[in-house]
Amino acid sequence: MQKLRKLVWISLLLMVVLVFTGCGQQGETSKQDEETIKIGTVGPLSGDTATYGVSTKNGVEIAIEEINNSGGINGKKITLIPQDSKGDQAEAANATQKLISQDNVSAIIGAVLSSETLAAAPIANDAGIPMISSSATAPGVPDVGPFIFRNCIADQVQAAQLAEYAVKELNLDKFAVLYTKNDYGEALKDTFVETLKSLDKEPLVVESYVDGDNDFSAQITKIAAQKPQAIYVGGYYTEAAKIAQQAKQKGLEVIFLGGDGFYSPKLLELGGDAVEGVIFTAGFYDKDPDENVQKFVAAYKAKFNEDPDMFAAQAYDAAMILIEAIKKAGTTDPAAIQAELAKTKDFPGITGKTSFTENGDAVKDILILKVENGAFKRIR
Amino acid sequence: MFNAYYLQVLVVVGINTILALGLNLITGITGQLSLGHAAFMSIGAYTSAILSLKYQLPFAVVLLSGAFMAAFFGIILGFPTLRLSGDYLAITTLGFAEITKVVLLNMESAGKALGLAGIPQKANVYNVYVLVIVVVFALIRLINSRVGRAFQAIREDEIAAEATGIPITRYKIMAFAIGSFLAGLGGGLYAHYLTYINPTDFGFLKSIEILNMVVLGGMGSIPGSVLGALILTVVPEMLRFVQDYRMLFYGVVLIFLMIFRPNGLLGGVSLTKMLSTRKRRNLETNN
Repeated sequence: MQKLRKLVWISLLLMVVLVFTGCGQQGETSKQDEETIKIGTVGPLSGDTATYGVSTKNGVEIAIEEINNSGGINGKKITLIPQDSKGDQAEAANATQKLISQDNVSAIIGAVLSSETLAAAPIANDAGIPMISSSATAPGVPDVGPFIFRNCIADQVQAAQLAEYAVKELNLDKFAVLYTKNDYGEALKDTFVETLKSLDKEPLVVESYVDGDNDFSAQITKIAAQKPQAIYVGGYYTEAAKIAQQAKQKGLEVIFLGGDGFYSPKLLELGGDAVEGVIFTAGFYDKDPDENVQKFVAAYKAKFNEDPDMFAAQAYDAAMILIEAIKKAGTTDPAAIQAELAKTKDFPGITGKTSFTENGDAVKDILILKVENGAFKRIR
Repeated sequence: MFNAYYLQVLVVVGINTILALGLNLITGITGQLSLGHAAFMSIGAYTSAILSLKYQLPFAVVLLSGAFMAAFFGIILGFPTLRLSGDYLAITTLGFAEITKVVLLNMESAGKALGLAGIPQKANVYNVYVLVIVVVFALIRLINSRVGRAFQAIREDEIAAEATGIPITRYKIMAFAIGSFLAGLGGGLYAHYLTYINPTDFGFLKSIEILNMVVLGGMGSIPGSVLGALILTVVPEMLRFVQDYRMLFYGVVLIFLMIFRPNGLLGGVSLTKMLSTRKRRNLETNN
């Protein structure tokens, strides 16, 4: 018993020692390299949502490599400090706090999910460190404060533009809405319905599902009874592909509309014939003949051996906007960087021209893509 | 040395300690397996956050309201299920956690899937640790009281406990209510520290994470729960330097700890016992 107790105390002591020495060392190393400009990223690198976080980190990495290879910013190299958030709010808050007070970063690209961004952003804003999220599309993110920016198309904007496009360009007037019950689906559905109403149209039926559902027959039967011309699906490609297939099996002939959650090669793989003719909004199109886009796609493929997705492209642009602001500011002082970021206007990126509104939200061109012969094609 | 980052991790350790202590009372001390601790945490978090945002009530009031609301739901849930012996509570709490999540996802006043943002940041290292100390002392007093011994008797053998005249249902509900109260308290602190809450944050994984702290620290041991919360909060932070492999290392650390200390780090160790044996040993050496 006594031996055991000794063991416990020793392990306790070891823990405490480890905690303090472990952290102390990191603090020291971060002070050594004053010569470089430090940029952090926050996002899930592990856990269920890791694919988004890894894409984001990779996009930023490509941008930083490109700048460092061409001599850095005003002669200074940039170092990237990626931090894992596991997709968890408390972890994202911790990671952000660590980047700010321990690694002394000049700016942060992140966080990736809307929920973790809403938890992490107040910390960056209070500390006066600029933070650009390249994927937090939920309402309220840029409203956190002057230091918070975002470089992605907001849910409200894309749903509104697609509704307008569907009514005015496609001349559709009978709509059904099917959305996933989370922040993304909820925001898409609300805006789509509101925009329809402003155009004197009313959705015939609004149904919902939960991410991970496999059987949509109940919703499809209800929707089919109203005979719509088009179904707006506010959700992600996995479910969208299944919905399209099950609708086809039931003989429902409609046009499927969707948001940027559709944009993945997996939509084509999972959906097959059923997703032919699907129309959706997106912030990035990797077949764009634009020289910069192709340069990015080639660099990404060479380094990570896979096609870049929208997360990577928007993160790349966010990093480039940030680097441009640091160049113009001529210093790594966060307040000066923030002032330059706020002035960003018509920045020519690979996801279109970007400007920031007064509260830090991006104004971007929104692309509309269509599935034709088993491939994505830009139609606007 | 104590920059904002360490302080923040310290606060999260404190909040997790309160949560783990609550579950330890239910699972470790009274022996009733609960898999829905995060649901009670979410009830506390949402109640206190809504009161703060809508009515701007003082922090102490909203915190207590959240905790009492969680305890209230604990009693309602405990009444039908704790009359039965066996693992019914585990299944019921599992279901209850899912129901709570779905209700929050659909509740207009709870912000639906978007959650609640802009909650005033009232929790800090001082009030969190004052509460941790109060909770630890209250629990030590409780466990060594008549009630606490009844809890432990129920854990050891329900039939024997009943035979000695302990009304087991009442005591089980009591333990469950106190544990839920602490979960609600932790949830309120969590909401007022992070300033943003969202239903998906209080899922099954959160319940398991808290259960991990209790099991790792040692079931039924109060210093064990404190240590479990400390380790499971600090280790993932310390492992940040391995980046993508962080969760892999975290898993390895957990496996090794369970191999070498299957009863938990401080399984069967209680603070009072530790002090009293030392006293006795001192007496022996003096003689």
